[in-house]
Amino acid sequence: MDLDANRSLIAAALGRIPAGDRTALQTVYRLTSAKLFGICLRILGERGEAEDVLQEVYVTVWRKAADFDASRASPMTWLIAIARNRSIDRLRASLQSRNMDPIDEATDLADSAARADSALEGAQEHARLHGCLEGLAAHERAALRGAFFDGNTYEDLAARMKVPLGTMKSWIRRTMIKLKACLEQ
Amino acid sequence: MSDTFDHTALPEDELLAAEYALGVLAGPDRAAAEHRIARERAFATLVAEWEQRLAPWAAEIPEIIPEPRVWERVVAALPAQVQRSPTQGGLWQSLAFWRGLTLATGVFAAACLAAVIYLGVLAQQQPLVATIEGDGHRHFVATIDVKRGTVAVVPAAFTADATRVPELWLIPSDGRPRPVGLLRADRAVTLSLSGELAALVTGKAVLAVSLEPPGGSPTGLPTGPVIGTGPLTSL
Repeated sequence: MDLDANRSLIAAALGRIPAGDRTALQTVYRLTSAKLFGICLRILGERGEAEDVLQEVYVTVWRKAADFDASRASPMTWLIAIARNRSIDRLRASLQSRNMDPIDEATDLADSAARADSALEGAQEHARLHGCLEGLAAHERAALRGAFFDGNTYEDLAARMKVPLGTMKSWIRRTMIKLKACLEQ
Repeated sequence: MSDTFDHTALPEDELLAAEYALGVLAGPDRAAAEHRIARERAFATLVAEWEQRLAPWAAEIPEIIPEPRVWERVVAALPAQVQRSPTQGGLWQSLAFWRGLTLATGVFAAACLAAVIYLGVLAQQQPLVATIEGDGHRHFVATIDVKRGTVAVVPAAFTADATRVPELWLIPSDGRPRPVGLLRADRAVTLSLSGELAALVTGKAVLAVSLEPPGGSPTGLPTGPVIGTGPLTSL
């Protein structure tokens, strides 16, 4: 499907939800639920939990659609943030993180071979982010991946990478500064 | 903490926004960030910018089609539709009934007033009415009975929030909000006004509704987003 057409379809449907249009919510669901379910499942690791959270995500979309501003944000960015945050909330509430396997650089190398699926997000944006991530040190990239894909906290990451908590905080903060500088170039 | 790295390259708020968007915060740190997102537009914008920077990474997560039952559960969890006739809870508990009633706010308010006059309750002090609106929606209609010291609040187009409750505030001419009480999305409530509060009810006061944690604002001032306001007017 044409990426821009898809984006505007989702944005237009989100715009109709505040008026109480359920078919608009269904349109958003049809176009985005496979992506968002993938995200919930990746973070939560368990299908039942991921289904619960996916349901919460679309009920949130129903309630908060009026907050979405198409002139300021991409609809997928907005939806992905809701899916990630709801999944992370669920993960935190369960008091345990799914993926606590030790991270070393080999893990990172294996992961970075992942192929981008750009059916919904612009391939260009992904390539740009990927380029900047490639410019980071392996341990910095690995820490970021643990947070983004596994929903790890600072404490989780420090344990997985066997470094003190303060060191992990410095790594992440420094890495985010580098990432922003690179993306703004 | 032994943290030798110089963070001055980005302001603290920007780093906090990055940490929240990445998802590394937990417990009170995460709750505090969420609290600020709800209250501070500038901070919410920083978070949104970081979400935009990171979102393209999600392209690496494969799509997985959920079971059809998930959509069915979404539909079941949505608030009852206005058009549908009440199927449970009876007419009095029906939001559709209340909404239908309040669609004709003017008529409703006038009818209240007529009843008040007819009953001879109206002495020198007239009831005051406020329609609490925001974002193009009429959320609640409030009628203050000054003599009795009560405020009756009927939900109109207000949609319940799963995690927060609507709280009513009286903002007199000094501009400082005073908490009045918690409202309901599904039915009318009548709250009493303390003597101190009742003294502040004038034609210059404004009513406002904010979304607060269950139990109401812990600080005595609005902590969540204000969803609507309405000036008090006498009929």
